[in-house]
Amino acid sequence: MTGRVLRWTGLAVVGATVILAVVLASRFGTDPGLVDSPLLGEPAPEFDLAGLDGSDGTALSELRGDVVVVNFFASWCLECREEHDDLVATSESFADRGVTFVQIGYQEAPAESLAYLAQAGMSAATLYLADPGSRTAIAYGVFGIPETFFIDPEGTVVGKIIGEADALILGATIDAIMAGERPGQRITGDTRQRPDP
Amino acid sequence: MSERIRNVATVIVIAVMAIALVLLTSTQPADVDRVEQIGLRIKCPVCQGESIANSPSPMAEDMMDLVSERVAAGVSDQGIIDELLGSYTGAVLLDPPASGSTLALWLAPMVALALGVGVILWWQRHPGSDTHDPAPPVERSRTRLLTGGVVLILAFAGIVVVASNSLQDRPAEAAGAAALEGQDLSEVSNETMEAVVAANADNPEVNGMRLALAERYFEVGDYRSAFPHYLLVAEDPEATAGEAVTALVRLGWMAYDGNGEVETATRLVDEALAIDPRSTVALYVRARLRWCGAGETDQAIETFEGLLTDPGLDPETAAGIEADLELARDGGECP
Repeated sequence: MTGRVLRWTGLAVVGATVILAVVLASRFGTDPGLVDSPLLGEPAPEFDLAGLDGSDGTALSELRGDVVVVNFFASWCLECREEHDDLVATSESFADRGVTFVQIGYQEAPAESLAYLAQAGMSAATLYLADPGSRTAIAYGVFGIPETFFIDPEGTVVGKIIGEADALILGATIDAIMAGERPGQRITGDTRQRPDP
Repeated sequence: MSERIRNVATVIVIAVMAIALVLLTSTQPADVDRVEQIGLRIKCPVCQGESIANSPSPMAEDMMDLVSERVAAGVSDQGIIDELLGSYTGAVLLDPPASGSTLALWLAPMVALALGVGVILWWQRHPGSDTHDPAPPVERSRTRLLTGGVVLILAFAGIVVVASNSLQDRPAEAAGAAALEGQDLSEVSNETMEAVVAANADNPEVNGMRLALAERYFEVGDYRSAFPHYLLVAEDPEATAGEAVTALVRLGWMAYDGNGEVETATRLVDEALAIDPRSTVALYVRARLRWCGAGETDQAIETFEGLLTDPGLDPETAAGIEADLELARDGGECP
């Protein structure tokens, strides 16, 4: 084995290592939860869920013709608590404009979600629904909460907010949908995957 | 043992190991449940690199239940995977797909193997081809050490730079109170502004948006909607002087124009003037109240004339004052 061959082999190994490291490192910052939802532009997954209080079910198809805002939340999610007042205010503000807010409890018992809402405040214009077995959360590809989906009057998913949303962002997104636009996905902050231990 | 026998033995050992490896990776024990097999391929979306089959999280359990239901319903493995891909994208698979940007991960080992074989073959065919380095052995060693060290340092620095650039926080957008300042409201609906001010009722920074919303209502004559917003700003001890003056003057004008309450209107405008005696809008409305409500035309004309001497007066307001002045001088009625 010669010195030149050794030298070039060593350089090749280092070069290959650098290239591989660059490829891998470039993926470090890619949170899988931040990829564009494949639901954007697609028909919204249908659901038919009972209320958190056990009341009669509500099917998404019944809301066709409205802009529907679907928000996944839980009492253990700090970001959900932060955005709660904005969700309530926006729901009530747009209630007479053909916009329906749906908040779906995520990974907790309906009674716990309901107890939290009783303390935090509820909007009479919002539907608060339970999701047994997380079927709807899975159908919507929820990685963490809060996540909020926007469905246009034709039933197509046209927007998604990952993280805490405020009234300005919620309202501006609804305004855009009402103007016939498709706002797409935006990231406003962190999400929570599970209750803190 | 001859060299030929050693070579044959080596080839046999390598072949046996390769076959064993292929068998281990391509076959599954017969008793492994199909649900488990599918679950092992799916990444738990709320965990770190765990499959839903191995994760104890409730979300993973829910997803395993879903897989179980689909299997019981006769859905194919790929059908179940496709359903989850439709919700989560390829990020839900533990093994990255052998296509697109992740194809390189699958090809890399094969490329490395081919390169290794190539290097070995090259060595065998070119023995001792580089034995005449003119530099003395000690110098050659130093040069190699230096070159190797520089390459390694550069490589390490490159990795650190790329990694640190990639490890960034989520690109959070301005939200909450921070978004209230400097916001272009031209394309924001009244409903959105109502929601923002309702959700930020205790935040003094929202007064700007509240006033902008109230002005929209005021300009179309919707005093009923404008009134509560002006009142909240006027009563907010943290409102700026400019905000308070605007709110008080508008409240005053609405009291006169909506209900004919001259005294209340005058009191409110006087409150505004107490805050800012040089406020153009307050002085203008005060003059109009004198002319329209109290019949004090001369005093109103005097105020109008005084206001028009202000070189900083905006053209729109100046035009309005000039029109009122002309009408008042002609003895016309307050419009």
